[in-house]
Amino acid sequence: MNDRSPLVNIIECLIFVSKAPLTIQEISDFLKDFEKNEITDALSELEEQWDGMGRSFILSNIAGGYQFRTRPEYSEYIVEFNKEIKKFRLSKAALEVLAIVAYKQPVTKIEVEKIRGVDCSSSVSMLLERRFIEISGRKDVPGKPFLYRTTDLFLETFGLKNIKDLPTVKEIEKIKEDLGEPG
Amino acid sequence: MITERNGKTEDPQSAYSVTLDIFNGPLDLLLHLIKKDEVDIYDIPIARITEQYLEYLDFLKKVNLEVVGDYLSMAAELGYIKSRMLLPRIKDEGEEEEQDPREELVRRLLEYERYRDAAAELGGMEILGKDVFLAGYDRKEEFGEPTEETEFVKFDLWALVDTFSKIYSDRKKSETEDIFFSSQTYTVEERKNQLIEIMKREKEVFFEDLFEGDINRMKLVVTFISILELLKDGALDVFQPTFEEPLKIILKQ
Repeated sequence: MNDRSPLVNIIECLIFVSKAPLTIQEISDFLKDFEKNEITDALSELEEQWDGMGRSFILSNIAGGYQFRTRPEYSEYIVEFNKEIKKFRLSKAALEVLAIVAYKQPVTKIEVEKIRGVDCSSSVSMLLERRFIEISGRKDVPGKPFLYRTTDLFLETFGLKNIKDLPTVKEIEKIKEDLGEPG
Repeated sequence: MITERNGKTEDPQSAYSVTLDIFNGPLDLLLHLIKKDEVDIYDIPIARITEQYLEYLDFLKKVNLEVVGDYLSMAAELGYIKSRMLLPRIKDEGEEEEQDPREELVRRLLEYERYRDAAAELGGMEILGKDVFLAGYDRKEEFGEPTEETEFVKFDLWALVDTFSKIYSDRKKSETEDIFFSSQTYTVEERKNQLIEIMKREKEVFFEDLFEGDINRMKLVVTFISILELLKDGALDVFQPTFEEPLKIILKQ
């Protein structure tokens, strides 16, 4: 603990007071006297230290940045203690829409509905309202429908480093090959 | 298309259609039927599955759940595939293999199933505001009041319909009571309140036991609709330890 470099401590306190996950870029833009690899090394050192301390919260790598988060095993105490916390809720339908957008982005509402076989308007607008998805443009087809993609808030909420960090869906692509994707 | 409505309608007839939203559409129902029958998805017995699918729709209609749009077009699609299965297969010039009329449906089912699994995986992640928290975290402040949405349920809701349909047909005998009943009013709102009282007392009840006092079919239906509504509101949850064991309804804190 005592042989910690000042850099490790500086980065630690910056993360501690930061509201959103703090990225390496933001840190290195601020700490101009340090090389980027020094900062990266300090971050991995911090991450390891916090994980090894067996504390109730750890340093997590989320949405391309770093953030302190509590360990999941203490969630019931936190919810019970702080009744003001609105417990996270999402319907099965909304979660399916979110999963399809996450894996297929950018994607139109019609494409999502084709996969689910039902109208998804209310789920899409709810996910937009809660900023889990956003409009990324328009598809160049007749009618120019909106294209949707997931947001950083989505990554933050689901604890993902980046979009490649999504759990691997077994063989979605492979099935398409086997059956011969039409068109 | 089925509209996923969030707002409650006053008209009791149309109020029922809202309840169907907690089910996940025709593909989800087909997967349920395929799994229930332990049928090979690559070799679906279309005639049998179509029949079961239509029985389901009939039953839902009978208990006043409005079956519309997507469920009906799937029924038509199944009928079409069924008829094509009866025709001799025509081999196109230069085509290596015969086209199976079920192929496109199987592709859609498999694709939907993968995303359904992916959604379940997502729902099982360490979620901010549910499993993990930040210092000074206050979701209310940041995102506003969450909209009226059901909490993610891993449970296959179609199994509820299966169980209810059994209860419903077992209770069919006492039909004379329906006439007696028509003079009384028995509303979903009232029943919901009663169910909440029961659940507060018992915490955990077998799904079937909630129909104990329902002496006629109309009451059965009201109880069923009430349970679906409470599930949708997130007040109750369904729980089944294993596939062999009966379904349980539990109260959420």
